[in-house]
Amino acid sequence: MKRRMMSLLLGVTLTATAFAAGCGSNGTNPEGNKGTEAQKPAQDDAQGDEKGDAPQASGGGQTIKWLTFGPGEDNWEGLTRPILAKFEEETGIHVETECYAFKDLFQVIETKFAAGESDVDVCSVDVTYIAKYGTSGYLEPLDSYFTEEEKALWDDASYSAGVWEGTMYAAPENTSAQVLYYNKTLLDEAGITLPENDAEHRLTYEEVAALAKQAQDALDPDRSKGIIGLDFQQVSRVYQMNMLPNSMGGANISEDGYTLDGVINTEPWINAMTWYQDLVKDGIASQGYDADGVASQFYAGKMVFIVNGTWCRSRMECDDELGCTYAPCFEGYEDQVATSTGSWYFGINSRSEKKDAAAEFVKYFTLGEGSDMWLDINGDVPSRLDRQEAIVNDPDALPEMKIAAYEAANTAYPRAVTPLFGEYSTVLNAAWEDVRNGADVTEVIEAAIDQYESAVAASQN
Amino acid sequence: MQRIHIKKKWLPYLLILPTTVLICVFKIGPIVTSISESVQSSKVDGFTMVNYKLLFSDKTFWNSTWVTLKMNLIMIPLQIVVAFVMALLVNAKVKGITVFRTIFFIPFCVSLTISTVIWRMLLNINDGVVNSFLGLFHIDRIGFLTDKRYALLSVILICSWRGCAYWMMFFLAGLKAVDTGLYEAAKIDGCGFFQRLFCITIPLLKHTFLFVLVANTTANFLLFTPVQIGTEGGPLGSTNVLMYEAYKAAFSYSNRPRSSCIVVILLIIIGLICIVQNKALAGEG
Repeated sequence: MKRRMMSLLLGVTLTATAFAAGCGSNGTNPEGNKGTEAQKPAQDDAQGDEKGDAPQASGGGQTIKWLTFGPGEDNWEGLTRPILAKFEEETGIHVETECYAFKDLFQVIETKFAAGESDVDVCSVDVTYIAKYGTSGYLEPLDSYFTEEEKALWDDASYSAGVWEGTMYAAPENTSAQVLYYNKTLLDEAGITLPENDAEHRLTYEEVAALAKQAQDALDPDRSKGIIGLDFQQVSRVYQMNMLPNSMGGANISEDGYTLDGVINTEPWINAMTWYQDLVKDGIASQGYDADGVASQFYAGKMVFIVNGTWCRSRMECDDELGCTYAPCFEGYEDQVATSTGSWYFGINSRSEKKDAAAEFVKYFTLGEGSDMWLDINGDVPSRLDRQEAIVNDPDALPEMKIAAYEAANTAYPRAVTPLFGEYSTVLNAAWEDVRNGADVTEVIEAAIDQYESAVAASQN
Repeated sequence: MQRIHIKKKWLPYLLILPTTVLICVFKIGPIVTSISESVQSSKVDGFTMVNYKLLFSDKTFWNSTWVTLKMNLIMIPLQIVVAFVMALLVNAKVKGITVFRTIFFIPFCVSLTISTVIWRMLLNINDGVVNSFLGLFHIDRIGFLTDKRYALLSVILICSWRGCAYWMMFFLAGLKAVDTGLYEAAKIDGCGFFQRLFCITIPLLKHTFLFVLVANTTANFLLFTPVQIGTEGGPLGSTNVLMYEAYKAAFSYSNRPRSSCIVVILLIIIGLICIVQNKALAGEG
C-alpha cells in the first residue's frame, strides 16, 4: 500500500514536471516552424492600412525594451542615451535598453527569441544574422512599417542587406567601412613619414608591416613598453579578418552558403593566414588580446597602425595625433582591394506586443532625428543617401569619412551570406584565433572545413 | 488515534514533497527533455537515432570526448591527492592553524567565473604576472591559454586551484572523525607517519574518498566556465570539452538535438564511471 502511494505521488509529480517542462518549450509548432504562429497576429496587426503606411505615434507613456550590445557609458549604452531621451521627449515612449557584451548578444537573442519571449520589442541585429532570424521567424516583417519612399532613402546595398527572400526584416542603423588609422605622434617620435598614397596608389600590407616594425624598433627596442605595430580592431572575427584573403581574391564561402571546401583551402586564404601569422610571430601584431583589448591599446596610444572602422576617432583616449588613410592592399594584388562592410540593423521581435511603438523607434533611429544624432555621436558611415552625399560635398568632413564613403562605394566586400552564419563565424573566428596563436595554417583550415561541414550536416537533419 | 496514524503516514511524504518537486523540475525534467529532444528530428516523424548517428560521425565530437576524458584523467586524481594533502596539513595541531585553514579555503569562496577571469589576466601572454615573472629568468613568454601545448593544463590549473580547496574540507571533516586513540596506539607500537597514513587514515577515510571521487567526477565532467571564459574551446579544439560543445550546439548553432545528444552521452559516461567507482571502492566497508 505504502509503495503504491509513493508511486502515485511520484507519478503525479513527474507528470507535473513534464507539464511544466512542456510549458517552457520554445514554441516550435508540430511542423517545426518556429515563430510562424507569432507572425500571424503580427501581420494582422499591421495597421490595416495599405502597404507602406507608417503607423502614427501611438505609444504615449509606453515603455519598450531594446536589446543591444555595448554596455557602459562610453559604449552604445551611454552614447545612445541622449537619443533615447530625445525620442521620449517627442513621442512619450520610453526606451529601456538591455545591453550585453558583443559576443553574448547573439546567444541572448537566440535564447530569448527561440523561447518566444515577448519582453524584448526591438533588437540590434548584425547584418549577417538577418537571413537566419528572418527564416526562424524571430523578426517581424517591416514592409508594412516603411513606405517605398522611406526605403529609397537608404543606399541600395544597405537596404537590400535587410531583406531576405523578398521581405524586409531589418532597417539599417548605419554601414561600415575600413580605414587605416595611424598614431601620428608615435610615427613622428620614431622619425617615420608615411609615403604618399591615395585610393589608386595604396600602401601595401607589406609596407605597413615594415613601417610598423621600424616604429617599434625605434620606440620600443626591447619591447618592454608593449608597443604594437599593426593590428586589426576586430581581431579574430570574420568581419574584419576575412578582408585579408578577400584582398588576395579569396571568397568567403561557396555560392550556396553551405561549403568551405574549395573556398578557404585555396591559395588566397593560405597566403593571407600565413602572412597574418608571420605578422604575429614577428611581434608586429598582438597576441592574447581580444577585439576590445586590441582596440583599447590603440586608443591608449600603444599601437602604431590599426585597421579600424570610422568610429575610431570618437573612442581615442590619449591625446596623440591621429592620422588615417586608405586600407592597404597586398603586393601583387593591387587591383583586388577588398574592405569589410555592413553593420548593425534594427529588428522588431515578432512576439512583441508593442510593435507600433517599436516601429516608431526604429524609424526614428534609422531615418529620423535619432539617425542624425547617432551618426554625429558615433561617427559611423551612414546608410542614408542624403548623409552620404553630405559627406562627399562637405569640404570640412573628417578625412576618414571621405575615405569610408569611397571604400563603401568601391572596395566594400560583402560578408558571407548563409543562413548558418552563427556556425560559420564560430568556426572561422576560432580558426583566425588559432592562426594567430601559431597553429599550423593548413591544419587549421582543414579543421575549419570539417567543423563547418558537420554543422551544415547537423542543421540539415 | 486513527487520525494521528494517517497524519504520521503522510507526514514523511509531505516533508519530502518540496524536494521531490524541485528535483523533478530542475533535474529529472531537463534530463527527460534532453533525452526526448535527442531522439527527435524535424525531418523524421517520431523516434529516431539520426542525431546520434550524425554526432558519432563528427570528428569534433570525438575530439571533445577525448579532451574531456584526458582532462578528467589528469584533474580528478590531481585534485583528490592535493586536497587530501592539504587536509592533512591543516589538520595539524599547531598554533594559528585556523588561519591557514581559512587561507586554503578562500579560493573556493571566489566564484569560478571570477577566478577564471583573474587567472586569465595572470596568465596573459602580453602583460600577465606569470609571464612577467618568468621574464625575470629570461624565459620566453608562454601562451598559457593560447598555445595548444599548455591550454588544457592551464584550464586544469584554474579548476584545481579552486576545486582542491573545496574537496579539502570533506577530507578535513573525515580526518576529524578519526579516533585519535588509534594514532596514539599506533605510535606506541612504533608506526611511522606513512604507516599510520596508509594503515589507519586512508582506510578509515574510504567513504570520504568515495564521495569525493564520485562528486568530483560529476562536477569535472560538467565543467564549462573556465573553458568558455578562458579559451573558448581553443586553441585548435584542445580544450573543447563536451559540455562546451553542447553549449555551442545549443546557443551558437541553435541545434538543440545535437546539444541534447551530447548531454545524454555525458550523463551516460558519468553514470557508468560512478557505478564503476562505487563498485571498486564501496566494498564491505
